[in-house]
Amino acid sequence: MSYVGEHTWVGDLGRLMVALSFVWATFSSVAYALHLRRPQSHWLATARWSFRLHALAVVGIVAVLFVAIWNHWFEFDYVWRHSSTDLPLRYIFSCFWEGQEGSFLLWTFWQAVLGWILIHKSREWEAGVMLTVAAVQAFLSSMLLGVYVFGIKLGSSPFVLIRDLPENLGLPWTQMADYLTSFPAFQEGNGLNPLLQNWWMTIHPPTLFLGFALTVVPFAYAVAGLLTKRYSDWVKPALSWTFAGVAVLGVGILMGGAWAYEALSFGGFWAWDPVENASLVPWLTLVAAGHLMMVEKHKHSATGITLFMALFTFWLVLYSTFLTRSGVLGDSSVHSFVDLGLSGQLLVYLLFFVLGTAALLAIRWKSFPKNATDELLGSREFWMFIGSITLLLSALQIAFSTSLPVFNKLIGPDGWIPLLGDALAPPTNANEHYNRLQMPFAIVVSVLMAVGPFLVWRSNSPLFWKRILPAAAGSVVLGGLIAWGMTIQHPVHVVLLVVSLFSALANVDLWLRLWRGNSRHLGMTTAHVGFALVLLGSLVSQGKKEFLSVNKSFIHKDFPANENSVLELKDTVSMVPYWVTWTGERSEGQNHYYDLTFMEKRGDTAFTLSPFIQMNERMGNVPEPDTRHFWNRDIYTHVTFADLRDVPDSTQWKRPLEVTLKAGEEAIVYDNFILHCDTLEVRDAVFTTDGSNIKRLNMALQLRLVAMDGSEEALLPIYSLAGDQLTQTDAVAERSGVKARFASVETEEGRFKIQLWRRSEEDQPFILIQAIAFPWINLLWLGSVLMGLGSALAVVQRVQRDREKAKKASA
Amino acid sequence: MDGPAIERARKIQKMKRNHLLGLIVLAVLAGVFLATFQDASTYQTFPTAEGQMGEECVVIGTLDLNDSIAFNKDKMLLRFTAVDKDGNSRTVYYNKPKPTDFERSEEITLTGFATDTAFVTTNILMKCPSKYKEKEKLQQT
Repeated sequence: MSYVGEHTWVGDLGRLMVALSFVWATFSSVAYALHLRRPQSHWLATARWSFRLHALAVVGIVAVLFVAIWNHWFEFDYVWRHSSTDLPLRYIFSCFWEGQEGSFLLWTFWQAVLGWILIHKSREWEAGVMLTVAAVQAFLSSMLLGVYVFGIKLGSSPFVLIRDLPENLGLPWTQMADYLTSFPAFQEGNGLNPLLQNWWMTIHPPTLFLGFALTVVPFAYAVAGLLTKRYSDWVKPALSWTFAGVAVLGVGILMGGAWAYEALSFGGFWAWDPVENASLVPWLTLVAAGHLMMVEKHKHSATGITLFMALFTFWLVLYSTFLTRSGVLGDSSVHSFVDLGLSGQLLVYLLFFVLGTAALLAIRWKSFPKNATDELLGSREFWMFIGSITLLLSALQIAFSTSLPVFNKLIGPDGWIPLLGDALAPPTNANEHYNRLQMPFAIVVSVLMAVGPFLVWRSNSPLFWKRILPAAAGSVVLGGLIAWGMTIQHPVHVVLLVVSLFSALANVDLWLRLWRGNSRHLGMTTAHVGFALVLLGSLVSQGKKEFLSVNKSFIHKDFPANENSVLELKDTVSMVPYWVTWTGERSEGQNHYYDLTFMEKRGDTAFTLSPFIQMNERMGNVPEPDTRHFWNRDIYTHVTFADLRDVPDSTQWKRPLEVTLKAGEEAIVYDNFILHCDTLEVRDAVFTTDGSNIKRLNMALQLRLVAMDGSEEALLPIYSLAGDQLTQTDAVAERSGVKARFASVETEEGRFKIQLWRRSEEDQPFILIQAIAFPWINLLWLGSVLMGLGSALAVVQRVQRDREKAKKASA
Repeated sequence: MDGPAIERARKIQKMKRNHLLGLIVLAVLAGVFLATFQDASTYQTFPTAEGQMGEECVVIGTLDLNDSIAFNKDKMLLRFTAVDKDGNSRTVYYNKPKPTDFERSEEITLTGFATDTAFVTTNILMKCPSKYKEKEKLQQT
């Protein structure tokens, strides 16, 4: 049977490309290994073209998947699951990498690009480096295979047809040739998660994965160094790559933070979520590796630890991949990927590279050169070494806390070796836990960032002390003033404030005053100042974040119950220093906006913020914040509660009341209204032939509800009888919030019994909002930009210097 | 002293320093790991949580939709009934706004502590059936 409208050839082509990319990568790795073993053999050319074929195949996979998404071929599960026809172009890219398969593909793509460049640039290191890169590529490609080998699932293909999904096999519709055209479900895809329909989300994943991909380069160079026993030489060519990784990965992580701050409503840019931690940890060790490589390059005194750090960073990348994609995080993270059943394969991937390279490192450890030259305590290299170790410890702390679910699997009550009585859960207050434990590391790193560059003059020389003094004194004074002005009292916070300022000031001072603005050092200085500002900005904006929306509930200072304000429609509430009014609500597309007007009590600043709730049938209703940016602080708001029901249902009616009135009479109801009973309107009355029984009856009672201000609302409750079937249609006075029912007629007296309900106080429209002031958060973003630019500049300058040196050497 | 002797003395000094560094690193690591274990909470059921009243823990369960879910905005108090994985049901208090789509959750993770009358939660994580709904839709067709 042939199906109508399917593009099966596209899927077949995609799958063929995946298979080819896997085969060529494996072949290339083996060929490079053979060449490395016997350089005289002719394997080098083979290895090169097979890697290039692999890279082309990867580009082919990307192209095929992109074409399928672009053309909305919803017969493919991946396309259906992640895209829809109404998406603008820039989000088509986001659909591409929203799912697990697509993000693996993105990662593979970047590494293929890097491999292609390395073939040209790595010269005598090519075989050693490319053997590892190709091996990593083989493993990554295998994640997309989607085949069963001896009953074990190998990879997950993005080219599976929906009708071929295991859960759909054998269903009747899969046997219909025209299923694509006959079912509306296939006309439109599931679409992209609206939270990801954000500008940051189109650039954050590619940047982050390029950063991840770059970590393979120092790893591959370190392996090459170990294989060829050139334990120190590998550092020089790998250094630029490493700092390129530092720049790209760092910017990628902070872009994720910017997205979280703009689109998520947890009230901040960083939540120490396992997925965030999984990218931060390798970045920290990558920075450590880069600095150790500089020590090793100049002094050859950190051979073992440098090799270890380069390997360890990549191990952490693999471990992070395992954590976020295997489903092991389970309950502890809201945004890890859906488990695709690849955890076994991911574990093999992780263990293969970790155990393989760890064994290699252990075997070679004894043969590392024992360097007699002693690093003096006062030398710059010694403190760079200490700084790197501090970064490693900091990374280990985060990794350890994030790994609690893994410990459960190993030693938890249902784990491998049940040592623990209770399964471990993440710390109940993650922010407090990580901030408290990370601050000491941040302090040490800041001090070293300030002092380190000055150690060009040894610390035992009086020149060193003289030169660093202005920055030190300046930061103590300035830090003290800021702490006093902003009432920062926690001693650790004050120390971090002072040292991060010290770090920024010292670097600027050194560059301007002592290096006289020499552009050679500009990259390093900018990167260091940037990182110091990131620390300073995080500390001040998070440590002194202030809830403007407060209510009077108080339970305990560690038990916040008062961080939300209740806003009734048109009501003005004080949120120091503003008056805030909820002026209205409106719907635009799937977003429901709540307009809040902020007016400064003393001053004339006024602005409107419109936090909204995304009403999405497919993904659930999600609140998103709105933020007003001032140069020195942000006012951030989000709706924490809103009644999303469109039609008030009957349960909302409270305070039942019964009045009996004749036509022309009136009664005071609910203290605030006068109810007039005007006339009875008989619309239809049919009696049985003998006249004693009612056959059909339809009557309406004309009521008027007059409010205190004289405004009137008409009510027309209907009483209708057909045989024995009684129907009462209630009338609602919307403005007053009163509902009337024509209950019965007391025929003898000509009175009408009317039942009334009032929409209860609690059901008056109201929302709860959180308004938070983040002081000086722009320092954080400024720092991020500087750090990225500075690192990038340093890399460019290093590459240029190396090129010039090479030219001179050849001349 | 002659050259080799100085060399040896420096070597010994360097070894000592490396050992000291190693010790500091180990001490920091040990401290960090202890602190992590101390801060980590544990997964409990309602009865086991009541065995350690007031101690923070995490209970995973479901929302009981048959019982009332009451939110009082003036007291900022949400009261509902939750059923843990073993089927024990308890009244739960939460002093924050009622989460969006609370009723639609298929699983709730409650961080908090037990008291003698109710479980007090400080944080609620919900798992909603969003991503899996797609399959139901298809099966209906």
